[in-house]
Amino acid sequence: MAQLLQHLVNTLVLGGTYALLGIGLTLIFGIMNVVNFTHGVLYTFGAYMMFIVVHQLGVNFFLALPLAIVAGWLLGAAIEILLLRPLRGSDIDTTMLVMIGAWIAMQSGALWIWGGVAKSVNNPFPDAPLVLGPVSVSWLRLFVLAAAALLIVIAYLLINRTKLGRAMRATFQDHDTAALMGVNVSWVYTSTFAIGSSLAAAAGALLGPVYVIFPQMGDLAAVKAFAIVILGGLGNITGAVIGGFILALAEELGAGYVSSGYRDAMGFLIIIAVLIFKPTGLFARAERVG
Amino acid sequence: MTRSFKAVPAIALALALFDGAAHAQTIKIGVNEPLTGAFAASGTYVVNGAKIAADEINAKGGVLGKKIELVIEDNKSNPTEAAAVAEKLITRDKVPVMMGAWGSSLTLAVMPKLTEYEVPMVVETSSAGKITTSGNPYIFRISPPSAVEGAAFSKIIDKLAIKKADFLVINNDWGRGTAEDFGKMMKEHGISIGLVETMDQSAQDMSAQLSKLKATDSETIIVTTAVDQLTLIFKQAAAIGLKKRIITTGGSQNPDQIIAQAGAAANGTMHLTTFLPWYPDKTPNPEATNYFIGEWKKRGFEFAGVTESFRGYDGIRTAAAAIEKAGKAEPAAIKAALWEINIKGLNGDIVFKKSGPPARKAARASRTST
Amino acid sequence: MNRIATLICLAVFISVPLWLTDPYLLNALITTGIFIIGAMSLNLLLGFTGQLSLGHIAFFGIGAYVSALTSLGFDVPIVGDFHIVHVPWPPIAGFVLAILISGFCGYLVGRLSFSVRGAYFVIVTISFAEVVRLVALNWVELTQGPLALTNIPSITIGLPGLGYLVLKTKLQNYYLVLAVAALSYLLISRLVHSHYGRAMRGLMENETLAVAVGIDVTKTLTLAAIISAGIAGAAGSLYAHYIRIIDPDVFAFISTVTMVIMVVSGGKGSLAGPVIGGVIFGLLPVFLRPIMPPEAQWITYGGVLIAILFVLPRGIVPTLAPLLGLSRKPGGAAAKVAPRAAEEHA
Repeated sequence: MAQLLQHLVNTLVLGGTYALLGIGLTLIFGIMNVVNFTHGVLYTFGAYMMFIVVHQLGVNFFLALPLAIVAGWLLGAAIEILLLRPLRGSDIDTTMLVMIGAWIAMQSGALWIWGGVAKSVNNPFPDAPLVLGPVSVSWLRLFVLAAAALLIVIAYLLINRTKLGRAMRATFQDHDTAALMGVNVSWVYTSTFAIGSSLAAAAGALLGPVYVIFPQMGDLAAVKAFAIVILGGLGNITGAVIGGFILALAEELGAGYVSSGYRDAMGFLIIIAVLIFKPTGLFARAERVG
Repeated sequence: MTRSFKAVPAIALALALFDGAAHAQTIKIGVNEPLTGAFAASGTYVVNGAKIAADEINAKGGVLGKKIELVIEDNKSNPTEAAAVAEKLITRDKVPVMMGAWGSSLTLAVMPKLTEYEVPMVVETSSAGKITTSGNPYIFRISPPSAVEGAAFSKIIDKLAIKKADFLVINNDWGRGTAEDFGKMMKEHGISIGLVETMDQSAQDMSAQLSKLKATDSETIIVTTAVDQLTLIFKQAAAIGLKKRIITTGGSQNPDQIIAQAGAAANGTMHLTTFLPWYPDKTPNPEATNYFIGEWKKRGFEFAGVTESFRGYDGIRTAAAAIEKAGKAEPAAIKAALWEINIKGLNGDIVFKKSGPPARKAARASRTST
Repeated sequence: MNRIATLICLAVFISVPLWLTDPYLLNALITTGIFIIGAMSLNLLLGFTGQLSLGHIAFFGIGAYVSALTSLGFDVPIVGDFHIVHVPWPPIAGFVLAILISGFCGYLVGRLSFSVRGAYFVIVTISFAEVVRLVALNWVELTQGPLALTNIPSITIGLPGLGYLVLKTKLQNYYLVLAVAALSYLLISRLVHSHYGRAMRGLMENETLAVAVGIDVTKTLTLAAIISAGIAGAAGSLYAHYIRIIDPDVFAFISTVTMVIMVVSGGKGSLAGPVIGGVIFGLLPVFLRPIMPPEAQWITYGGVLIAILFVLPRGIVPTLAPLLGLSRKPGGAAAKVAPRAAEEHA
């Protein structure tokens, strides 16, 4: 019983970060129909920004977070303007392959600049965990969970309560009509990619101090993010949040009660099962994508 | 379309000529290491260690009156590339001896090439049993396999009064091999073995595995993995309130780095290491160790890297010693000479034994406390 | 594809070992050739049916493992004392089994996943490849997991009574790979020009219309998946017997990426596309190696990929072939319509 409770607490902590990873990707995937292979690199980038700002510039941990998020926003906007805007109208395979090229080049760039040796970021939280009866959890991870929840709420409000959000939703439903109605679709795409990228960078900046930072750290994160997006349905923020927690739960219980070797297989098996039995994702909306 | 085809051979030939110019004044040693991809950090460490050895040897006049030249190639952490790199080093650069290739799958992929071209290779890191037991006569391993480490550990294991142990190992040949060898050895000492949990080598979150281990009735956990994952395990074990004794194996770990990164979470853990750069005077070859560490710091590398890079240093010194003993830079002579060398490595004497691992005074146990 | 151009290409490939004796380059050509076979099989799905499989390496890896295990033998406990024991068979049997079993896996994946399209299909195939990799990694009794399968024998050809030939040298392996590649090319070419090929392209361009005129969607797509997976399995078998060691790294995602790069840069839906793209991206790292540091090689690789897609978004062959006076590829026009068709069903 104590073990199960601990697994559930772990799920909560892990699921929050998965959700954050997932919503950035689901926006880009859903609105732009771009299979964004740079998502993992932006996650890595956010983590390295955290390292640079905290350790090389000596900025306070809590101030460093927004800086890393802004850096991710800028890099995302740059990628969209330089690499995706000229290819507007190309098919999904072409843009995907351009993103793969950018992923390979940027990850190798990170290796060249920062080297392969893992870095770690100090954090101001106490080492001793918070103990609640049979379970315990570290303060840093509680902070990460809270920050992730805050960012998810902000993203949700951005999409559902602002003018930009309305334009994004209109573009998601039908970009031709949206363009006819006076929405600047090009600007919506750039904003969407920048927001998605800043969320990936935020996830990296939050998780960098929890884990260690190295150039390939984003690869596994990106694969999980794709899984979450599919579970939740393209472009569905609420779905991505729920998908993040489902994936975390599957991994925890899979490792705890089945086999740790197949821990990462759990998420993929769920995806395969979901897509076979409910091909549009668990929480897909009815709208057409693209 | 035919035109683009004709362009390819033209470039290929140009490159073949371009690379063909050999430096007759140096003796080449091929270095086949992962410099990009998943194992980039470790491969870079080993190469840095190798460069220190080459510079040291050259400063003392080289071997056979010639300077040694390292031909360093990146195998991209990919077995296919590791084999291709061996092909290049042997046929293009005409190296008479090589060192490589860090990981076991990388090394195993190179081995058919060694037989094909009859060139020997010094294996500096890989620990899979198959490397030395598959009957390839061109393989000379200086890294202690887990069975040797287990045997060394068995001498002190009774003092630790372990009753039941679980394992948490990296899911590769090294982790699985250690779990098997240590498990066998510990059973002989009357210790019962509980769970054997694995983690993917790229995994960053081991909370699920640790939560499972927290709930067992074992009092000790044997952990085998590289230093970064180890750091995470200590942090995450502390976070979920796991208070069992953790013993790490493998010798690549670096208590300094663990303490720097894991902080208080690493308190009370034990590490089996094969090389003690923190106490140079207690290593088998204090003079060389002091030189190596001094040089490492002078070059501005992170101290944490010495526990991996010393393998590259020892590997090149082994190859150079064999060339000196052979009296000529030819593969067959070097292969024969490798059987005869006896040099003082940084963590023990390097002497090769037939069809098995080289004899080494392997694992030492050290306790860190902060 | 112009028949004469194809034959000239084949002649050039056959003549390569006559003027290229450098074993390092020959080795690079052999491994590239193996991946080109994989890319050709991927092209059948991606270029002619519009289904992007990002898990294609799964079939390649399954072929490699089936072939290696057939020729090495195994002893796997199933339940209690019940073991499945297999004594080693000749590698050529492994090659055949690799094709059959990979093809069967293609059938299963095809049946299960063609109900989803577009981005969802992409993710299902990635997931499938990951699951297969994790099985290879963790089913240690069968695959030896990360301990790798070693000493895989080279392919032997011959008939009882007529003697055997062990294909050990690079020259022999080069011609073996070339022969399998040529056969695969021929098979794919025949298929896409057949009744089924027309059905595939019809599906890709307008599925609703295709269904209306009586094309059996599932049957057509499943056939493509079986043949595609079977050819990928053949490539995997060649890989296992040439490199002679395999471990779960054979399922690395970067290998799928390599194949997709070969197909899309060369021109999907064009028979020669994967060959041209494959030669370029297979040999690019070889040329970059001596001239720049390792990280820069990868950055250049990514940069060249982006540049090709910017300049030739439809791929090299569909853009350049008309300029060189060669006839248009059947899939050339279709490629443009593909995303729309995929979107309709996303």
